[in-house]
Amino acid sequence: MKGTLLIHLRSGSMMNMDSNLTVKLARAALDKGYNVRIFGYGEGITPIKEGQDPKRFPNVGKELTEIAEKGATIVVCETCCVARGIHRGEEVKGSKVGSLTNDLSKFVSEADRILTLAR
Amino acid sequence: MVSILFVILKSPHENPNLELTNDLGGQSKKAALLFEDAVYYAVDKKASKHLSEHVDEVFVISDDLAARGFECDIGGKFKVIDYGQAVDLIMQFDRTITL
Repeated sequence: MKGTLLIHLRSGSMMNMDSNLTVKLARAALDKGYNVRIFGYGEGITPIKEGQDPKRFPNVGKELTEIAEKGATIVVCETCCVARGIHRGEEVKGSKVGSLTNDLSKFVSEADRILTLAR
Repeated sequence: MVSILFVILKSPHENPNLELTNDLGGQSKKAALLFEDAVYYAVDKKASKHLSEHVDEVFVISDDLAARGFECDIGGKFKVIDYGQAVDLIMQFDRTITL
């Protein structure tokens, strides 16, 4: 493995193109042999909600499942999910509802580089 | 010397604070990586000059240029790259800062 890239996503799936950018960078990084971790915080938890059905935009939920199958680790903040009425069991396949203390702290300590996508 | 890659997502018209490149970058090697509407920095003369004054190099995502109707070899400090090259840059620079 060439190194670990952590993408810290803070934008929602329908706010702008940041979640799509996350997927594109994750795909490129996986293709190049990097280890990829994604942590969603704040509005950045919404891309893991199962059942998204956008009519004119890429389905970021499905794309996240695809990159998880290629090896990406995808975790979002549980407190942020609960605040938005999203609970464990509602996440797309390949993603996990986790926490800042158990997951993000570990990801940060183990990452070679961190990219934050926020507005 | 520390190298810093400033990631810009917003268009020049949303006024990302480029002074932060000096405040946070100091004497480091500094480059900018432009995604999404930030690619307008590459095609707007005034904005490109302004950004060029703040960083040593600028990298622009080709897909984001094409999505907005631009196909150009910009030259100067600006270099057009793809997502794979962007990932390599992110991993090569010592740190990234998103403006």
